[in-house]
Amino acid sequence: MKSLFLTGTLGVSLLVIAGCATTQSSHTSSPRPVIGGQTYYGQPRDKVLWAYRNALTAMRQGNYPQAKELLDDAILSMGGIITNDKAARQARSLFHGEAKKTFIGEPYERVMAYYYRGILYWMDGEPDNARACFRSAMFIDSDVENKAYAADYTLLEYLDGLASVKMSGDGSDALQRARKFSAASLPDYNSRANVLVFIEAGDGPMKYAAGEYRETLLFSQGKTGARSATVRVNGQTIPAPAYDDLYYQATTRGGRVMDQILANKAGFKATTDTIGDASIISGAVLAGTQQGRGSKADEVGFGLLAFGVLNKIVSSATTPTADTRYWDNLPQYLSFAALELPPGEHTLIVEFQGQRGQNLPNLTKTISVNVPTDRDAVIFISDKSIPKST
Amino acid sequence: MSCFSILQKLTVGLFVPHSKTMNVKKFFAPFLSIALAAVFVGCATQGVRNPSGVRVTQMNPDEQGFVAGTGVESQDLVAVTDKMARSVLNTPEILRAQGVPRVVLIPVQNETRFPINKDIFLTRIRTQLNSKSLGKVRFLAREHMAALERERDLKQAGAVTSNSDPNIVEFKGADFFLTGKLQGMTTRTSKGTSDYILYSFQLVDARTSDIIWEDSAEIKKQGLEDAVYR
Repeated sequence: MKSLFLTGTLGVSLLVIAGCATTQSSHTSSPRPVIGGQTYYGQPRDKVLWAYRNALTAMRQGNYPQAKELLDDAILSMGGIITNDKAARQARSLFHGEAKKTFIGEPYERVMAYYYRGILYWMDGEPDNARACFRSAMFIDSDVENKAYAADYTLLEYLDGLASVKMSGDGSDALQRARKFSAASLPDYNSRANVLVFIEAGDGPMKYAAGEYRETLLFSQGKTGARSATVRVNGQTIPAPAYDDLYYQATTRGGRVMDQILANKAGFKATTDTIGDASIISGAVLAGTQQGRGSKADEVGFGLLAFGVLNKIVSSATTPTADTRYWDNLPQYLSFAALELPPGEHTLIVEFQGQRGQNLPNLTKTISVNVPTDRDAVIFISDKSIPKST
Repeated sequence: MSCFSILQKLTVGLFVPHSKTMNVKKFFAPFLSIALAAVFVGCATQGVRNPSGVRVTQMNPDEQGFVAGTGVESQDLVAVTDKMARSVLNTPEILRAQGVPRVVLIPVQNETRFPINKDIFLTRIRTQLNSKSLGKVRFLAREHMAALERERDLKQAGAVTSNSDPNIVEFKGADFFLTGKLQGMTTRTSKGTSDYILYSFQLVDARTSDIIWEDSAEIKKQGLEDAVYR
């Protein structure tokens, strides 16, 4: 009877541990981004993550049609309201980590997907759809614990207002809100500005899991190289300071609802582990003192041992690990400059500056721009861009 | 009673058996079954409201919702454009027009937070009117003007044949402009997200700038996403 019970318990434990191993390996073997335009999604639940990464790579290579396609696909997945999703249910369950869920990213990542799509809409001469993207991005950033940090991206507000001004609307409220958020000085809107330069620099925030069971999601700052930029064209020099900092945005969101779920999982894991330890020790002591005389206490001892083992198994199978998948080629700083240039060919020089304002000549980009007569010329430039004529 | 407290009470019960004469099997069976039940009941979402989220539901615009809405979808497009097409045809200026009025489409302006294919609204209104108005209105293909002008130039140059005098201007001018605007309001609370969108369309007299027809449709949606995304 005892041996049958113990064999059964051992069998269950092996099954649970085997399932656990599969769960762990499925999200830790995240493949590296594909550079060069090829789209590789890895796991289906990582599809949006790969769309984000590859879209940004495509933008930096000047492959805007591919970036649009990837971002549209990503927005289709993350833009709606996800309910009754099997992967989400698993991510909430005790025995799966958070990374089991379909990745759509933390708010700062979703904001950036809309931000980039907005730039691409503006490039296509659709400032109203660009503004819609900036508004969606601001909406995503409104879900924060501390409302002081809700929808506090300077550029999203500023660009919302600029798009309104360009469409003969009123952008004054948006400009006022943008100035409230910005440490750097924001210029007044110029409705005649026809060259919009979107600049980004530095490395974005990285995610890591902390806590006894890696149940707490935290962020670390990326490598800080360039911070701001200067645009030179036709004898004009226009500063493009860092208006937004993604590390700041990632770290000011506050607690997530998912953090509570992970904390509960961690609590359950700790409790079952403690009970397991106590039961095993008590059972071993009880069974050991009876020296196999087959008494009731002997049987209780073995029962406690089995109960302890079961608790240890359940504890080890409980997975409170936070999801640390992240959009790993995001920038840290976002800048912008609006210029008024006559239609035709122009050469822009974008110079990057470091944290202390020093020039970083190795990052300088030279871009040829053909300013059209019927729409704005929109230029996207990163300190990691491969420059291409616009 | 929380899962943790059940387990804690279990532990106390185990270490202090009530009776040494209790049958061991009877003693352990409830503990093990309760422990297993506690494990599978899932303590992880304890204290989280609606962990699975709340399915998006469509409501009447005048209905008081527990939160407010989400984006533009195909059913909205169909409902809105069907209503607009029916409404335009009942306009006296169209019903009692001398001759067939010519209409030119001006792109819809999107002021919502949802990026959309703006042309799709006017395209569907146009196709509905063309298929159901029995020729009461005609639309001018201004988006093809460049190709049309090139063809006329070829005819004027004698490079291609022409069934009429190519030097007479036959491109028709607009009697009316049809355009529209999408405006939205968004609400977000801990109970979910709500979006209200007002779809308004106008027919403007090209000669007088009078708005001879205007109609609107409203759609409000709301939902709450799964807790793992909150």
